[in-house]
Amino acid sequence: MNTDWKNFEPVLIPNIKDLYKIDVYEKNGGYEQLKKVFKDKKHTPESLVNEVKAANIRGRGGAGFNAGLKWSFMPKPDGGPRYIAANGDESEPGTFKDRVIFERNPHLFIEGSILAGFAMDITAVYVYIRGEYRDQINMMQKAIDDAYAKGYLGKNILKSGFDLEMYVHSGAGAYICGEESSLMESLEGKRGYPRVKPPFPAQKGLWGRPTTINNIETLANVPLVVKNGADWYTSIGAKTHPGPVLYGISGHVNRPGVYEYPTGMLITDLINDVCKGVRGGKKVKAVIPGGSSTPPLRGDSLDGVRMDADSLRTAGSMMGTAGMIVMDEDTDIVDVIWRISHFYHHESCGQCTPCRDGTGFLEKTLIKIKDGEGEMRDLDILLDLCTQMEGRTICALADAAAWPVRYAVERFREDFEKRVKKTVYAVA
Amino acid sequence: MPEIFIDNIRYEFEGKPKVLQFMLDQGLDHPFFCYHPSLSIPANCRQCYVEAGTPVMNRETNDWELDENGERVIRYFPKLMTSCSLEATDGMVIKTHRTSELVKRGHKDVLEFILMNHPLDCPICDQAGECPLQIQTYKYGPEGSRFEHKKVHKPKRIKLGPRVILDAERCINCTRCVRFTDEISKTHQLTIISRGDKNYPAVAPGTEFDDPYSLNTVDICPVGALTSADFRFKARVWEMNQTPSIDITNGKGCNTDVWVRNNLVLRITPRYNPDVNDHWMPDIGREDYRRMNENRISRPDLKLDGNKIKSSWSNAEMTFAETISNAKPEEFLVLGSAFSSLEDNFTLQKFFKSRGIENISFVTNIQKGSGDGFLMDDDQYPNTNGCRMLGFEELSPATFKKKVSGGKYKVIISLEDDLLGREVIDTTDLNSAFFVYFGSNNNKTSEAADLVIPISNSVETPSTYINVDGRCQRTVPAKETIYTNRKLNLEMSVGRLDRYGTKFDNWVSDRNRVDCIPGWEFLERVALLDNSNFGYETSEDIIHEIAHTNSNFSGVSYEAMDEQLGVQLKVTKETKEKTA
Amino acid sequence: MSQKYEFTKEELAEIEKIKAKYPDKKPPVMPVLWLAQNKFGHVEPEVQHLVAKTLDLPPAHVYGVVTFYTQYYGERKGKYVLDVCTTLTCQVCGGYEILHHLEEKLGIKAGETTEDGLFSIQSVECLGACGYAPMMQITNGVYCNHLTKEKVDKIIDDLRAGKLPEYENMPFYQHGDPEPSKS
Ligand SMILES: Cc1cc2nc3c(=O)[nH]c(=O)nc-3n(C[C@H](O)[C@H](O)[C@H](O)COP(=O)(O)O)c2cc1C
Ligand code: SF4
Ligand code: SF4
Ligand code: FES
Ligand code: FES
Repeated sequence: MNTDWKNFEPVLIPNIKDLYKIDVYEKNGGYEQLKKVFKDKKHTPESLVNEVKAANIRGRGGAGFNAGLKWSFMPKPDGGPRYIAANGDESEPGTFKDRVIFERNPHLFIEGSILAGFAMDITAVYVYIRGEYRDQINMMQKAIDDAYAKGYLGKNILKSGFDLEMYVHSGAGAYICGEESSLMESLEGKRGYPRVKPPFPAQKGLWGRPTTINNIETLANVPLVVKNGADWYTSIGAKTHPGPVLYGISGHVNRPGVYEYPTGMLITDLINDVCKGVRGGKKVKAVIPGGSSTPPLRGDSLDGVRMDADSLRTAGSMMGTAGMIVMDEDTDIVDVIWRISHFYHHESCGQCTPCRDGTGFLEKTLIKIKDGEGEMRDLDILLDLCTQMEGRTICALADAAAWPVRYAVERFREDFEKRVKKTVYAVA
Repeated sequence: MPEIFIDNIRYEFEGKPKVLQFMLDQGLDHPFFCYHPSLSIPANCRQCYVEAGTPVMNRETNDWELDENGERVIRYFPKLMTSCSLEATDGMVIKTHRTSELVKRGHKDVLEFILMNHPLDCPICDQAGECPLQIQTYKYGPEGSRFEHKKVHKPKRIKLGPRVILDAERCINCTRCVRFTDEISKTHQLTIISRGDKNYPAVAPGTEFDDPYSLNTVDICPVGALTSADFRFKARVWEMNQTPSIDITNGKGCNTDVWVRNNLVLRITPRYNPDVNDHWMPDIGREDYRRMNENRISRPDLKLDGNKIKSSWSNAEMTFAETISNAKPEEFLVLGSAFSSLEDNFTLQKFFKSRGIENISFVTNIQKGSGDGFLMDDDQYPNTNGCRMLGFEELSPATFKKKVSGGKYKVIISLEDDLLGREVIDTTDLNSAFFVYFGSNNNKTSEAADLVIPISNSVETPSTYINVDGRCQRTVPAKETIYTNRKLNLEMSVGRLDRYGTKFDNWVSDRNRVDCIPGWEFLERVALLDNSNFGYETSEDIIHEIAHTNSNFSGVSYEAMDEQLGVQLKVTKETKEKTA
Repeated sequence: MSQKYEFTKEELAEIEKIKAKYPDKKPPVMPVLWLAQNKFGHVEPEVQHLVAKTLDLPPAHVYGVVTFYTQYYGERKGKYVLDVCTTLTCQVCGGYEILHHLEEKLGIKAGETTEDGLFSIQSVECLGACGYAPMMQITNGVYCNHLTKEKVDKIIDDLRAGKLPEYENMPFYQHGDPEPSKS
């Protein structure tokens, strides 16, 4: 493992002033990879897919799936349209890292999308950005307009004969639209109800056509892989989960923000060094490592835990979006878990029963406990409800709602027990 | 043939059935809510869970992988699967609640969630007694509720449209109603609004759910969220008896059920027939129950010196016999009717044929452009093809008016067809002819008639109709006349009230029985006066005779119609051209 | 019904451009609702009917979409809608204190609008600015980060004077730019 993170030079968000401007981006080697592929024939679509597969860019949207492998699921072109939906919905609480790409390096993402488009013979890329990011949507639109003006998008890109359109689609306030099939429904102008799978998007995606959904950051990694090769990429960070990653760290740390470092960072390094420690020198009570749906870890169990899929699995959590929330010793965990569960209750699309009603049941039970009205058996009910929701729904929102509750009740049981009424049953 | 094992029993299947539909086809009970065989599959209720596994293929031997006991190695899906959306594959293994505790738990868990926000007001809910939620809760639900919190409150008693009322709290969000307007009626009038547990179906503000097929949503709603404005609170379902019938409000002949209590039809619902109407029917056909109950002609009417008086049946028979014996064949105008049954039309034809009158005609009622190409046809009458196949002369309203107004007919005899009401003719056209009308309901035409014979309607006597596509279908008596008895007529269905109610129960009524007989029976009785009768005892005798004397109808019998949901007849080229 | 509300020629031309981005007639509904909301300040039923008519879509479809997405104002709100994030990070960093401060200051509860129609307050879900918590967004637009009661007071005063806060470029500390640099 490459632990020399202190000397790591950011590559997704390199330290270049005004990089968001297309000429600055070009001056710094931007769109070079496009030229290498289109003009110098550095890659065929197949070799490009293979290169990305070998690099093992694991999806930065949460599920951590190998991007190249996902691309290889696309069926052979049949002459009809094919799409990429770039997922910039970024609504998982604790996650605020794609916006840094929109703000600081949009062309890296655009270049990556064009390369992905070439690899999969794509007709159009729809960039779905959450509606609240109004400013970032405008920045992205400007960047796309500039790329069109320079001939990187549109018809016959760099005289290669390859055409690609790119459009921004604004969301309007719905977390669920980050789920890939809900995102497609939303793009199709409907209520964002996730679709039943199969069929998978590669078979039947947008408008029934083959579609690949990737996170913004995932696609932004592509030009780096094309430039430096898969071997370079896999040499960064954790072996099974390599590459640079944008950590969004928030909560009770002295310097919250987005940081680019290799995967596999020690959580303690991120808190103590990168973020300059916990506010007021307090102890860490809990860390949610990758967005609100990833199981919370106890502050006293962080030693040696690294931010990559394997290490976090061993520790009992997940990498998710690498949006890490740090909570200090004064934090009321019951309150926090209630608020998380309120979030999922509010955001459930309402399509399937265990999620629509289960999220409400969870929240209402947590309110009861939080308000001191709970009883011991409510804790068992909570765990039972989680079992009734996990793996039983159309999409993973129900799991995302259940996990924090299940693991908080298990890992912070004493906090919950302190809050419930001590009911004494008479034994006859 | 590919095989599938359900709870350790082997079944063979063809094509690519979904597991739920396949199980239902095998008569296996399995809970579900959102699935409907004629709609898309959203798999949103999650009630239909099964455990599913597929055998592992050994790539080298190209055969199933076997374990040490020689049993196939089954790889189970890691999660419970919704059987409605799961396609059967060769060798698939399914475990239902019968063999899997996990599935049993799954069914119970989903029901607990569905019920937690459900008002549980079955005692005042129209759906009770025929409610999938109620039934499945009894069979598969949890014993009690652990939900001790406030339920989500939503609007109640919303008039979605003229015919449909919504109680949003009862809605379980299966989206069947929305899918119906999107996929079947294609009016797109409904949507689910809001999100999460605040979801419920609605129309756009300022619009109403006036879809001509709106009431089908009431039928398919698996709970009492959607109810019929008209039927609401009229009856509990177990008080009614349900009888198969045919919609005769247009030429399509949708298959229906009529629901009767105390000899009143209270509602009409569609009955599944994949060759005619699938699971659906137009709203207008359901309103026909009024015609069946209200404004009925009871006892014959005779006009004396311009005044209508009630007459006895024997008097009516004699008057009829006298009238026809006093005129010459060419002075007769005999009208069959595309509104009347094959039984009545055929007997009419036979009766007059034996009296030297060959020419029977009928007046069409085809409103061009009024149909929708779905379940409402331009043809407003249910039996136009029946009249054609009997060889009746087909007259357009205009031709008919010309024909009748010359004044050359001394006697006009007509089966039920409100020629005056639909303004084909007016009273002056009848001149001084003696007009005999066979009908079930009072109308302008019966008013103008000199002799009115009250006849049993399509829900009082078996009545056969041949629809616009040549499908021969019949009704079953659902409602007693004063001459029929539910308990004696084995064909009539008996409801709980019929079985157990006594005259002393104040919710049981013996009224509502009309003094009428089938049209054919009247003719049989008149013929008996001069011993020229045909010997028909039941309407089935007539259909038997038609099938054996008129090749257009070969193969037709009540039994065949009942078993095959109607008998498809060849529509001859001639009839087709006329239909076009 | 949509007499009161109409699109201008220019807006209709804009809508044609939007339509050209998609291979089907439904997808423009979201961007056109945005366009309508930016123009009229809300998408109340009459506006929904205008959108439905313009795009030749069933009004029920538009209604279903409007009510699914929280940023569409199916009912009129105040001129400035203060969306205070109270989710997770913002919660633990004082989001509710900001919310309650605003409620007290403006004399209304979350979900309500001041009598003068100037302000609405809403408690909303994570806005993707957790590193800059607590924070709020004003009328689906500008983000106000690292809120304190004092900062909130100033924002309200400015808004009363018709002045919206400016876009804040958030720092990327790794580049040694701890102070926000204007882009
Ligand atoms: C409820 C839910 C919400 C999600 N939200 C997001 C999101 O906001 N952004 C995102 O990139 N992926 C999100 N995802 C994951 C996507 O479904 C999908 O896996 C991802 O966009 C694929 O891209 P990747 O493979 O590049 O990560 C979400 C998933 C679920 C189940
Ligand atoms: S799990 Fe929840 S969010 Fe996902 S489809 Fe079902 S109801 Fe919708
Ligand atoms: S009203 Fe009935 S049919 Fe419609 S969604 Fe609700 S439960 Fe289903
Ligand atoms: S029947 Fe509703 S999910 Fe299968
Ligand atoms: S939690 Fe408030 S912006 Fe993410």
